[in-house]
Amino acid sequence: MKVTIKNLTKRFSDMTAVNDFSAVIESGELIALLGPSGCGKSTMLNMISGILAPTEGKIFFDDEDVTDLSPEKRGVGLVFQNYALYPHMTVLENICFPLEIKKVPKEERIARAKEMAKLVHVDTMLDRKPGQMSGGQQQRVAIARALVKQPRILLLDEPLSNLDARLRIEMREEIRRIQQETGVTTIFVTHDQEEAMSISDHIVLMKDGFLQQYAKPQELYDEPANCFVADFLGNPPINKANGVIKNGKIVLEGDCEVELEAAKNIAEGREVTLSMRAEAIIVGEAEKACVGTVEEVYVMGKEVLAYVSLGTTKVRAYIDAEKTFDKGQTVNIGLKKRGVFVFDKETGERLA
Amino acid sequence: MKKLFKNLSFGRVLIYLFLTVGAITMVFPFYWMITGAFKSGTEIISFPPVWFPTSFALTNFVEAFERAPFLSYFINSVVAMVGSVSICSFTTIVGAFAFSKLDFPFKNVLLALLLGLMMVPFEMIVITNFRTIIDLGLYDNILALIVPFTSSIFYMYILKGFFDSIPNSLYQAARVDGCSNWKYLWKVMVPIAKPSLVTIILLNAIASWNSFLWPSLAILNKVNKTLPFGLYSFVNEGGSRTELMMAASTIVVLPMIILFLFARKQIVNGVARGGLKG
Repeated sequence: MKVTIKNLTKRFSDMTAVNDFSAVIESGELIALLGPSGCGKSTMLNMISGILAPTEGKIFFDDEDVTDLSPEKRGVGLVFQNYALYPHMTVLENICFPLEIKKVPKEERIARAKEMAKLVHVDTMLDRKPGQMSGGQQQRVAIARALVKQPRILLLDEPLSNLDARLRIEMREEIRRIQQETGVTTIFVTHDQEEAMSISDHIVLMKDGFLQQYAKPQELYDEPANCFVADFLGNPPINKANGVIKNGKIVLEGDCEVELEAAKNIAEGREVTLSMRAEAIIVGEAEKACVGTVEEVYVMGKEVLAYVSLGTTKVRAYIDAEKTFDKGQTVNIGLKKRGVFVFDKETGERLA
Repeated sequence: MKKLFKNLSFGRVLIYLFLTVGAITMVFPFYWMITGAFKSGTEIISFPPVWFPTSFALTNFVEAFERAPFLSYFINSVVAMVGSVSICSFTTIVGAFAFSKLDFPFKNVLLALLLGLMMVPFEMIVITNFRTIIDLGLYDNILALIVPFTSSIFYMYILKGFFDSIPNSLYQAARVDGCSNWKYLWKVMVPIAKPSLVTIILLNAIASWNSFLWPSLAILNKVNKTLPFGLYSFVNEGGSRTELMMAASTIVVLPMIILFLFARKQIVNGVARGGLKG
């Protein structure tokens, strides 16, 4: 089912949690709502589910306006961070509960619940209580409970953040598998970029209630719309250096001139931020963009990471393990086209 | 190391000694009452005291029942207790849910007001309650023992505290599935709150069973008296037959002891509530 969100705004008494948000989510896709905590992503999810009413704007499921519909009439399945299983019911009773409310005949609901339990691999523990299960198993039950009533859309609110690191990777692949098998349009909230990058079809990146960028994971990484997007994605974090455009070059703080093809079209005297991913900086290149000084070299297994100062700014760069550099050595620095961006220093707007 | 162990065991002995003395102090009056109920008139006043009754015949109980209508006292007590506890539990559950999970205007003001009312001692409300009962035409009626006790701010506040601790995501999950407030309350909240509820019902039942002041004011006729009030009249009228008083007292206390023994198991079972993270 296609979800269309038009100019959605949610204001609480003293703050705006979601600001003029518009997006179209295609049917059958797995979408990640990504952003730092407090960016409005959970508010967004709660408005789609109907738990919160928006201040302004509309939400459409396919062509149906659901903005004023109560949660149970929207046909959404919801999974919570703390699983929200009923502690006094068994797994089977938990999965049956939504059908019980819908007054589905007992035999049918047990059959459907068992089918769901099989899909999420908890069919061997139907008689257990949630307290006797691990976090991952509880989350599977919660997903089964959300899916058993065949919702038009599945919403997951930070489904993995209560799990330990290994389980988290396992469960995110499980979520992907379950989503692919059922084909249900799914939106999940996360603050973990890796989680969002690894399993989603598209990522909605939010900050302070504003939509920053809505794109495929790789596009988000390769073509960030603004400084925040470039900053938020990637590990190690992207290197940032402030500078001014002079004669078609970027002059970084500490008088380091950087020659960059893309910088030639930017107006003279504009203050910019040069953002470079660690893998886009080539240390010891003949074709140089600027000159830097090696400060420190760390060997970390297969990768070698160097701290290089460009003017007064220190940046991290991956270097070729074959090459050796001394501390304090002056080197030529080359910059790849991919992974190097210029943003306006004040607004963060992408210039090149 | 050895010395530490020695100190520890000495401390333990002290603790157990202390606990034993405490336990005997608590249990002895009960022991004296129950054994006294089986003693004969001479045994009970003899000195040195008779520690064990010579026979376990129920003659004292039979005589107590003959001299005063303890059976109807007992029935009245049960009716008053079941009536007030069941209605009060219902209002407590519904009120606690409203204050914990629902939104309505002046909610906090109302709650503060109710909590403020808790500070008024019962003895002060007695007069107005008495007037109300007379106006309702319920004086010397068993209903007079039920109507004033159909709600309790104190129990409601305790249960509200427990309801507050149940994560809101359970409520939202149920709402999204189309569960009504009413159904959510009885299908989810109440089963989860069972341990708290059992405690509340138990406290309420004991308070109702033991209440003396109010029945002594609102009830006039012998046939409408409850056990504690009946016992009081019995002591007044029956003179100095201590063994009969002991038998009557045993009759009054026994149901509560049995109730507690059953409910204690319930409470312990109920405390182990799992599955609520966050």
